[in-house]
Amino acid sequence: MKRLLGTDVATYGPPAFLFVFTVAYLIVAYGYSPASRAFPVIVAWSMIVLVTIDLISRTQTRAGRALTRWLIPTAATTAGHDNPLSRVEIIAVSWVAALVAAMALIGILYAIPLFVFASVRWRGQRSYAASLAIASITTLLVWLLFTRVLRIELYSGLLGSG
Amino acid sequence: MLDVWLGGIQSLLQVRELMFLALGMAIGLMFGAIPGLGGATALALLMPLTYGLEPFTALALSGGVMGAVPMGGSITAILLNTPGTAPNAATCLDGYPLAQQGKAGLAIGAAASANAIGGIIGTLSVLAVLPIAKDLVLLFGPPEFFLLATFGLVTTATASRGKVLRGLISGGLGLMISFIGYNEVMGGERFTFGVDYLWDGVHLVPALIGLFAVAEMINLSVRGGAVSSNAGAVKITSMAGGLLETFKHWPTVLRGSLVGTVVGAIPGVGGVVAAFLSYSMTVQASRNPESFGKGNIQGVIAPEAAINAKDGSALIPTLAFGIPGGAEMAVFLGILVLHGMQPGPMMLSQHQTEIYGLVWALTLSCILASFIGLLFVRPLAMITLVDSKILVPIVLCVAMVGSYAIDTNIENVVLTAAFGILGYLMIRFDYPRLTVVIALVLGATAERSFHQSLMIGDGHYSVFFTRTICQILIACIVAWLTWPLLGGFFRTRKSVVLGREGRR
Repeated sequence: MKRLLGTDVATYGPPAFLFVFTVAYLIVAYGYSPASRAFPVIVAWSMIVLVTIDLISRTQTRAGRALTRWLIPTAATTAGHDNPLSRVEIIAVSWVAALVAAMALIGILYAIPLFVFASVRWRGQRSYAASLAIASITTLLVWLLFTRVLRIELYSGLLGSG
Repeated sequence: MLDVWLGGIQSLLQVRELMFLALGMAIGLMFGAIPGLGGATALALLMPLTYGLEPFTALALSGGVMGAVPMGGSITAILLNTPGTAPNAATCLDGYPLAQQGKAGLAIGAAASANAIGGIIGTLSVLAVLPIAKDLVLLFGPPEFFLLATFGLVTTATASRGKVLRGLISGGLGLMISFIGYNEVMGGERFTFGVDYLWDGVHLVPALIGLFAVAEMINLSVRGGAVSSNAGAVKITSMAGGLLETFKHWPTVLRGSLVGTVVGAIPGVGGVVAAFLSYSMTVQASRNPESFGKGNIQGVIAPEAAINAKDGSALIPTLAFGIPGGAEMAVFLGILVLHGMQPGPMMLSQHQTEIYGLVWALTLSCILASFIGLLFVRPLAMITLVDSKILVPIVLCVAMVGSYAIDTNIENVVLTAAFGILGYLMIRFDYPRLTVVIALVLGATAERSFHQSLMIGDGHYSVFFTRTICQILIACIVAWLTWPLLGGFFRTRKSVVLGREGRR
């Protein structure tokens, strides 16, 4: 792993991302009228200062170590927080994204049984029968509560509504 | 005055009213426990049904709902890190770690009793304050609102002890997100990039469901196992333990209730601020602040007491000025109007029996809902033993549908997922989520008050320094902000000195 000022480059990831995000935010904000951008700009410039301090605090320089002790004394006890995302984490996030995509495309009432069945069967390593039962019960409960009791029309999906 | 109080109780203690109160309570518990629904949805759904009821019966039903919702919300907040209602998000911070340690029953017990006591203290405060409510609310103008919002942010950031810098960064990020949408002060939209859904800004409840429920489910999915790793401790959890904890920490209950009462009376600030402010103040006051966020029972008691105390005092601006404190009160205001009661200064004199009856209904609902919550502690705590491989997909589905159901908008689901991923990244990279929430709530209020204050002061910033309440708030902000930083500075000095001595 490449190092910069005595620290793994990946450690700078979160504040570096926030820095870039804030700069982009500021660029967009300056496109609005002076009155409209006044407060967002104050906040964004404050963010630039704070994120810069966060970046410096992650270096293994004298200033960095002093800032860590002063402003983030628990950083030493949270070792491992700065590692890049692992494969398991990316898969977990992808499942959430898949659920949202399924709800948007095929509708809520079809997405739920599919998602629960797939999760329990392939991620949970349960039998087909158990997965089917859990998926059916979940869908039935959601349908009963939201559609029958609350009379909320559940989204039928981009494909379903077309 | 006493005869009006008694008149209110007498009107409530009728079989019909008590039955509707119980019905409202059951609905409130259920709606509170389902993420995304909450009191506003319950009242909105009930509103047309109350049309055929007597006005007082409708108020008893509404009081039952409003009093029970926080208890329902706290159950899912503790067991699944999924706040049933927005203010319950503060309960997640220590309630969920307690559940993970196998102390879910203890946490729910403490939440139930804190709820009940908070409700009672809130009622007593309201009974004392209602006669002078008008003068009290008028003390707060735009400069005070702006500084109060800033104070709320600062206290929350500094409450994340050991991570003040990251707390402030999270707050800044939350504020930046809160500016998305239509600018109600200057007009025009900002940061929406052509997405119509964002014109209303970032919807709070879907965002909260994402930050807490979805983020925690991703975390649980990565970690594996069950919410609680200690099956034995879940089984032996006693209700009395939680009850005793609340009484043992009576200053926390009292502080939380008072914070809830004061904040609840300020229109537009609402339960989320009350809960988080109470939590932050408890952390600040604690001798062991490092234990918060890791399963400190006071971290459950403080917000729960504030949430229920707030419910009573939120009636003050709603009834006295017709200014609802939040979404729930806005819908309730609709019920009042539907039954021929026009909120405003006149209502305080013309409908006293109804007002005090409502206050008592709210209190009775808080207490009874807490008892029902206690009865279900043991079976509910077993949820924390369910394998994450089964629990995660079910909770994710319910959370997403709950988010959709708020205003039947599929974009809510997308927003929830986005905030879920943001929340997980914040857990992962050790940035507190607390300040993002408080910033999302206060961002619009802070900006609006900032511009209104400058208009009042002809563009001069001196308007923030010349008013007495402003000066008190500024002193509090400076004290809250500098104290942890000074503490860190002295720690640095001490370690440098010790290092030198060690080298000698």
